[in-house]
Amino acid sequence: MIGAIALLLVCQLAGEVIHRLTGLPLPGSVIGMGLLLAWLALVPRERLTLTQVTGWLTAHLSIMFVPAAVGVMQEGAILSRYGLGIVVAVVVSTLLTLAVTALVFAAVAGREAQDSEEPAS
Amino acid sequence: MTDLIATPLLWLAVTLVVFEAADILSRRSGRHPLCHPVLWATPVLIGILLATKTPYATYAEATQVLGFLLGPAVVGLAVPIWAQRATIRRLAKPLTCALLAGAVTAIVSAVGIVWLFGAPVEILASIAPRATTTPVGMAVAAQLGGIPALAAVIVLMSGVIGAMTATPLLNLLRIKDYRARGFAVGVSAHGFGAARAFQVDQTAGAFASLGMALNAAATATILSIVAGLL
Repeated sequence: MIGAIALLLVCQLAGEVIHRLTGLPLPGSVIGMGLLLAWLALVPRERLTLTQVTGWLTAHLSIMFVPAAVGVMQEGAILSRYGLGIVVAVVVSTLLTLAVTALVFAAVAGREAQDSEEPAS
Repeated sequence: MTDLIATPLLWLAVTLVVFEAADILSRRSGRHPLCHPVLWATPVLIGILLATKTPYATYAEATQVLGFLLGPAVVGLAVPIWAQRATIRRLAKPLTCALLAGAVTAIVSAVGIVWLFGAPVEILASIAPRATTTPVGMAVAAQLGGIPALAAVIVLMSGVIGAMTATPLLNLLRIKDYRARGFAVGVSAHGFGAARAFQVDQTAGAFASLGMALNAAATATILSIVAGLL
C-alpha cells in the first residue's frame, strides 16, 4: 500500500522536477502520468495494490475538486460579464466534440473492418 | 474556541458532511448527472462561507489536503491506460484519429466561441481544457494563465451536458458501435460521461474511461505545444 502511494508521489515529484528543469509546459502531474506509464511498461510485476490505490483515488475524485470549485465565488464579476458566452461555448463544444469523435471513430473502424473483410460490428 | 477555527478541522469536517449529504441525494437519484454531488455541495458550501463571512482564502487553506490528492490521482490515470494497452494496440488507428479529432474540436470550438464573445485571455485559458477530467483541466488552466476554479466549473458543466445529451445525439447520428459511442462521451465529457456510459453498456463504459484518460494526456500535450509556440 505504502509502496504504491510512494510510487505515485515519486512519479509526480519527478514530473514536477522535469517541468521545472526543462520548462516543459505540461503540468508536473501529467508528466508524472507519462513516467508511471513508462514504469508500468519497464517493470513487470504484480500490481494489485497500485490498482487498488489509483482506483480509490479515481472513485473519490469528485470531493477533491470541491474546494477549488468553491473558489468560483471569487469570480462573480467574470461570470456575470462572460457567463453567457461560457455557457454557449460549453454546450456547443460538448455536442460538437461528441459528434466528431464518434463519427471519426465509426468511420475509421468501419473502413478497417471492411478492409479485412470482417463484418462491421 | 477561536483557535479551533484556525485549524483545518472545521472546514474539512463541514466539506465532508456537505459532500456526503449531496452524495446520498445523488445515490437516491440513481446517479442522475444533474444530481452530481459536486453540483449541490459547491453552492451549499459557498452559501455557508458567505453566511459566516468566511473569506475564501481561509477555506482554501483549511481544505488544501483535498486538492493535494488531485496530483497523485492524475498520475494514476496511467493505470487504466496501461490496463487497456491490448485494445489500444488493436484499435490504434480509429482511436488515434478519433482522439485527435475530438481533442482539437473540443479546444478550438470552446476557445473560439468565448473569443467571439470578447472574453479575455484568462477565460480562454480556463475553457481550453474543458473536455479533460477536472484535475487535469485545473492544472492545465493554471499552466496557461487561466483560473483553476473557473476551469473546474467549466469542466463540471461539460460533464453534465455531455452525460445528458450523449444518448439522444448519438442516436440521432445513427452511431451504433458502442466503442465509438463510449469513446466519444469519454473524450467530450470525461468522468461524468464515463459514469453515464457504464449505465448504458459495459463496452461503452470501458471505452469512455479510455477516452477520458487518453484525452487528458492529449489535450494537455496539444495545449502545451500551442503554448510553447505562442
